[in-house]
Amino acid sequence: MHAGLFFRWGFAAVLCGFLAASPAAADNHGKSSADFIRSLADKAIASLTDPETPRPERIERFRKLFNDSFAVRSIGKRALGRYWRQASDAEKTRYERLFEDLMVVTYVDRFANYAGEALEVEKSRIEDKAIATVFTEIMRKGGAKPIRVEWIVGTNGVIYKIVDVKVEGVSMTQTLSSDFASIVRRGGGIPGLLDELEKKTVQLTAGQ
Amino acid sequence: MSFPILRIPSSIAGLMLAGVMMLLAGCTLPPPIGDREALAEYEQVNDPLEPTNRAILTFNRGVDAAILKPAATGYREYVPAWLRTMVGNFLDHLRAPVVFLNDILQGEVDRALVTLNRFWINTGLGFGLLDMAGAMGMEGHDEDFGQTLAVWGVPSGPFMMLPLFGPSNPRDTVGLVVDFLTDPFNLWATNTDREHLQFARGGTLAVDNRAGSLDLIDDLEKTSLDFYAAIRSLYRQRRADEISNGKGSANLPAPGISDLREAPMFDAALEMSRR
Repeated sequence: MHAGLFFRWGFAAVLCGFLAASPAAADNHGKSSADFIRSLADKAIASLTDPETPRPERIERFRKLFNDSFAVRSIGKRALGRYWRQASDAEKTRYERLFEDLMVVTYVDRFANYAGEALEVEKSRIEDKAIATVFTEIMRKGGAKPIRVEWIVGTNGVIYKIVDVKVEGVSMTQTLSSDFASIVRRGGGIPGLLDELEKKTVQLTAGQ
Repeated sequence: MSFPILRIPSSIAGLMLAGVMMLLAGCTLPPPIGDREALAEYEQVNDPLEPTNRAILTFNRGVDAAILKPAATGYREYVPAWLRTMVGNFLDHLRAPVVFLNDILQGEVDRALVTLNRFWINTGLGFGLLDMAGAMGMEGHDEDFGQTLAVWGVPSGPFMMLPLFGPSNPRDTVGLVVDFLTDPFNLWATNTDREHLQFARGGTLAVDNRAGSLDLIDDLEKTSLDFYAAIRSLYRQRRADEISNGKGSANLPAPGISDLREAPMFDAALEMSRR
């Protein structure tokens, strides 16, 4: 256990050293992260809100946007948690493909809905050298209470990627992780989870 | 906005007792000693009554599908938005004393003053139906005794699915009872034989809450692999957020943040270089 912990922190220390050495990773990544989220919202509005766009086309556009803006593999790994390390290489490959597919079909409609409403960046907070939280509110039409959305953005000073999203305090990664772990634990194992992911993806792609 | 599928502060205390009895019926056993990760997971899930809880959720979903969801759907469809807003405002207004009490018990003097000022402004200028204080920039908030207990450091205890009331835990169940007992409206209704008003309020509140979460729950049913696990996770996260008044807290670190340091940059760089 201590070895694992040591490895973890050792790795983190190396990473921090790497980041500290990178001149671009200055302490203004709070502001840059906020700009990154703003520009993502603009892109989403431009590419996803037109109701004339057929759904398959919208899915493909969103897939590109999603891969460009989210640390998809990192989110996928954290969603699988400890089971990631137990999975075989073949299972990992299949999982990564299914995870991306599932996220794309799950979030395409939600993103398109949100994109039609104004996203206001309230503030950003630097968590550490690599991570900043961008606090936003999605203004609803018809005077409904705005939705509080926090974007956890990771950066190396050059690339910005979303590593988690929290809607009204509910973390996307954590919810996925509870959901996935429950399937594995309740007897499905990792193969069972992969089958469920596949089934769900097919359902959601066909649906609507 | 609070999440619970059903939160009806009315005098159906007998059902809660029935719930406690049912809880004794089924248990999940801890994993074998030695599997540290499995044990950590078992403790984190903190749901030893899972089989019973799942059965209660099935029951709740039956009731929901038969009664509550159709009522909430009809409410949203046929009642005009302005009237629904008034109903929501009035329900919030009735709850103000309980919110005020819990603001005080949590030592949140500023928030207590907001609740107090909102109450007299909305009584005087809005008859409880219009949120005049909100229009003046004095936004309302919710509090309950479950949150107060959490602020006092009482642990939540294991996850529980209550019949009709939905996801909870021992701390929030105690909170629910205390909120009911300290609510002046309930005291007045009980002492003047107007229990029917309590039921009317509870029913309206249930429909109003359910109408507010129609899309959320539909979405969750559609996208989750295991609806029960998703509800459980959502409830915990929402409560943690409510307890910290949306600010996050040192006691309740967002799980995942600690291991964010592990990989995202590395992965982000990798993902970039792949294209």
